[in-house]
Amino acid sequence: MSFFGFGQSADIDIVLDGTENRQRVGVKTEDGKKEGYLVYYDGESVSGKVNITLKKPGYKLEHQGIKIEFSGQIELYYDRGNHYEFTSLTKELARPGELTQNTSYPFEFLNVEKPFESYTGSNVRLRYLLRVTIVRRISDTVKELDLVVHTLSSYPDMNNSIKMEVGIEDCLHIEFEYNKCKYHLKDVIVGKIYFLLVRIKLKHMEIAIIKKETTGTGANMFTESDTIAKYEIMDGAPVRGESIPIRVFLAGYELTPTMKDINKKFSVKYYLNLVLMDEEDRRYFKQQEITLWRKGEKAHSQATNHQPSHLVSKEGGPKGSEPMQRVPEPSDPPVEEMKREVNSPPLSSPPEIFPDE
Amino acid sequence: MTPQLEEQEKLLEEAMTNVRFQAHQMKMSLDKQKLMDGLKHASSMLSELRTSLLSPKSYYELYMTITDELRYLESYLLEEFRKEQKDRKIPDLYEIVQYAGNIVPRLYLLITVGLVHIQTNSSSKKDLMKDLVEMCRGVQHPLRGLFLRNYLLQCMRNVLPDTPDDPNAAETPEGTVRDSIDFVLMNFAEMNKLWVRMQHQGHSRERERREQEREELKILVGTNLVRLSQLDSVSLDLYKKLVLPGILEQVVSCRDAIAQEYLMECIIQVFPDELHLATLSAFLKSCSELQAGVNVKNVIISLMNRLATFTQKNPSPETAQLFDIFSDQIASIIQCRHEMLVEDMVSLEVSLLDLALKCYPDRIDYVDKVMESTVAIFEKLSLDRIEYYSATSRELTRLMKIPIDEYNDVLRVLELEHYIRLLVCFDYQGRSAIASALVNSALENGTLISTPEQVDAILSMISPMVTDQEDQPSADPDPEDFAEEQGQLGRFIHHLKSENPDQQYLILSAARKHFGRGGPKRIKHTLPSIVFQAYQLAFTYSAIRELDPNWEKKCIKIFQFCHQTITALVKAEYYELPLRLFLQGALAINNIDFNGYENVAYEFFSQAFSLYEEDISESKAQLVALTLIIGVFERLSCFSAENAEPICTQCALAASKLLKKPDQARAVAVSAHLFWSGKTNDGKEMLNGPKVVECLKKVARIVSHCMDLSVQVQLYTELLNSYIYFYEKGNDAITVDLLNDLIGKIRSELPNLENSDETDQIISHFNNSLEHLRNRVECPESEGISYKGLNLNFFGLK
Repeated sequence: MSFFGFGQSADIDIVLDGTENRQRVGVKTEDGKKEGYLVYYDGESVSGKVNITLKKPGYKLEHQGIKIEFSGQIELYYDRGNHYEFTSLTKELARPGELTQNTSYPFEFLNVEKPFESYTGSNVRLRYLLRVTIVRRISDTVKELDLVVHTLSSYPDMNNSIKMEVGIEDCLHIEFEYNKCKYHLKDVIVGKIYFLLVRIKLKHMEIAIIKKETTGTGANMFTESDTIAKYEIMDGAPVRGESIPIRVFLAGYELTPTMKDINKKFSVKYYLNLVLMDEEDRRYFKQQEITLWRKGEKAHSQATNHQPSHLVSKEGGPKGSEPMQRVPEPSDPPVEEMKREVNSPPLSSPPEIFPDE
Repeated sequence: MTPQLEEQEKLLEEAMTNVRFQAHQMKMSLDKQKLMDGLKHASSMLSELRTSLLSPKSYYELYMTITDELRYLESYLLEEFRKEQKDRKIPDLYEIVQYAGNIVPRLYLLITVGLVHIQTNSSSKKDLMKDLVEMCRGVQHPLRGLFLRNYLLQCMRNVLPDTPDDPNAAETPEGTVRDSIDFVLMNFAEMNKLWVRMQHQGHSRERERREQEREELKILVGTNLVRLSQLDSVSLDLYKKLVLPGILEQVVSCRDAIAQEYLMECIIQVFPDELHLATLSAFLKSCSELQAGVNVKNVIISLMNRLATFTQKNPSPETAQLFDIFSDQIASIIQCRHEMLVEDMVSLEVSLLDLALKCYPDRIDYVDKVMESTVAIFEKLSLDRIEYYSATSRELTRLMKIPIDEYNDVLRVLELEHYIRLLVCFDYQGRSAIASALVNSALENGTLISTPEQVDAILSMISPMVTDQEDQPSADPDPEDFAEEQGQLGRFIHHLKSENPDQQYLILSAARKHFGRGGPKRIKHTLPSIVFQAYQLAFTYSAIRELDPNWEKKCIKIFQFCHQTITALVKAEYYELPLRLFLQGALAINNIDFNGYENVAYEFFSQAFSLYEEDISESKAQLVALTLIIGVFERLSCFSAENAEPICTQCALAASKLLKKPDQARAVAVSAHLFWSGKTNDGKEMLNGPKVVECLKKVARIVSHCMDLSVQVQLYTELLNSYIYFYEKGNDAITVDLLNDLIGKIRSELPNLENSDETDQIISHFNNSLEHLRNRVECPESEGISYKGLNLNFFGLK
């Protein structure tokens, strides 16, 4: 970096090892552009080279030392400037001295702990970056490189279906069932809605995936809801005894794993919102939290290898053709009250037909 | 055009414009190999099918246009995915189209891609079929759902697995016909539910319109059944165990009359008769479970008619039970459907009867069983008088006429034990109609009723024609109609006939018993036929006198029978008719010379004569009767002179006692013949010339007393003819002078007649008579009598 146009300056370039085999993902930056970042997992080493190119060959570059940092930080947008670093590792690349020619320094952060998933939300960002600093007397020369971290989970031990009878007394009783409570990001939600009582004229029914991002604590806690997807699952008015199949592919939507109380700064939770709309555009809904998790890549790569697993009939879950058995068990959930939105706005513009490819 | 129609056209046109645009974009994208863009446009195009504003007709048009355009996508995909080395795999595409946010376009795309999936790789056909038919549940809107599922059915029609189901074989992913059946049955059930649901939506005052709309859409539901019927591998076993129970379960459980009636009819029409035959009981049992509003009768009749035709062409052991099955099931349907109209019940029996006659023409017991069941229906409902102008009566009349028209033989109808039981359920008019049909049948087909028992039976059946009925209308029937009816009955009596004379006698006795109770108005038409039949029978005995030693006794009995019968007419205050019948009897007896026949003939003749004397008072009738009596006597040859002479004298006397002079003159002239050609039992004619002349002279005297000149001349001319007749017969008591006198007399009177048609006639009569005489004079016959001395000089009168 050069102020007044005199003195030596240098370009810093961080080249990571094994980029050709490493997965890249597009991440929306704050200004909305998409950039491709390399993906790392927890415990992976981050290694590479730092290339320093002198802008004026022949002149020397004095410095007070050259270092590289690996940093994990949380930025809250309402609190700009204050970054909460939860990880910071530093390696010295050169002692204070002079550089007289272009120089390359290898570096390696061995088995780095990366406890959280990278995240860019509406009010908060969790990012990982490498920062190279050439310490100089007047102003340091700095170069940063963002990395993306994916946290992988293994298949959850407990993954019960979500089954619940909900309704509005003497008006509408339905029983819904989602085949799991925890879905991986490329998973398929399979389920069905069974109509036990219908005394209102329904027009249609949809499932929305809602993301709730909570930041801050106590009085400063702030939650932002975002509808990721709206998906119509029923057209017209069913009668008692109908069962409507649900099948929602998640892979096409921009989802992240569920995050709970990340470094005591924020949480991201996902809900399935079942919405029924009647002929007067009144909306009846029931939200149900689901947990999203990221499945190991190996398994992920198999996701495109379609078995007829996406067909209702082969899925272990409920089958539309079977009438749901109402067995009164102790664990049977009580009928819960459904919410009805008062003065709810009419359905906003229809969801995009296809998610971005 | 109504405003609604205009509005519809506008809406449709708007939708069509967008469809055309999106379809064009879709094709352009696909042509440029931009599949995702193509799918987006397809989806936009399909979004038009989300509308709730269109009537079924307009929606159908839109649907047709859109699905037509979709074929472009389908064939593009087929071509793409059949290539080796494809970039995308079809299962991926099957997933991708499911991201469409709206369910209607999504499912149309899913079906389209699913079809391509099956066509390019049939390894998951079975699962795809299940998946598609299941996913379509998401559309619960009747109109949109019906069309969506119709699209599904149309797409799958050529790929439905149709290999026989082998329970021992391992399951194949391609599926077997069993999977096709499951698929179509489920689609059918769902479509039917949607269709039925239309009935219950919207305001009740729009019911008519809704039913109209449902009518327009029914074919969509019915197509499912057509598909099922087109599966070649549906064996009888599968049909029996899977297909039919599946359909019937849905039909019965939907509890919708419109659907039930249509679908039952559909089943009958689309599946082959062999299958119906094998599943008859199940089908009919379901019929009894249909809604009250369903016209079960039409359904069953339609089936019966089909099976009857089929059985007629393909008789087989399986069809032997057909009647029994229908008979039992109809009985139970009638029993359990309380709301069924009586006429519909009877109408069912009519069809059953049709079937029985078509398929089992020899089984008269089947026909009788139908009659019995029908009687049972009426008994159960305590119906004992079915009014003629009711629908029930109309059906019952059909039922009763079928055996008459089919057998063309009333004797077979008589074999039906329960026919008469059914007949008495009618009111008077109904019974009359059947009676008339029975009589007509016998007349047209020349059926002979040849035992007394049969006569008894048939006459009981046609009793409304034969005797007065308790329930007949109080007003007299139209005389012409009545006369025609009774005339038919008279003809009918001639069909009561046995080859065996003894039997015939019993038949006539039985018939008279019935007809004798017919009352004065009827007997005058019916009893004469019996009498003539009896005379005929007497001739028969006469002809077989060598074979039957008792023939004479039997003849006497017959004439006694006739006497009684004729007397019955007299008692009913008829005179001219019995008179003729007595005379006819006398003639008949005259021709059969049984022992004592003279006395019998005398009795008959004297009965006639006393009727004349005592009961015929009108002068014209008297003249006619007397002429008849004289005519008959002249032909009789059974009387001894002892009997004959008083009769002759009585007749002449009676003639001269007639009231009017012209009648006297004519009657006496006729009676002159008695003394000439009247015969006695020695066979000789009397040929009493002087007596004849005495009569004719008497005539002349009577004529001379006539005041009316033209009548007088007319009578003289007639008298002249009588003279000529007897003169030419050789009565030598008549002289040419007598003739000359008479001719002179007529000639002298003729100019005094006034000019009139009548006078012209008299002159012409007279001239003709003279012409005859002149011919005789000019060309005398070689052995004829001579007119020598006849004065024919003054000819040429105008």
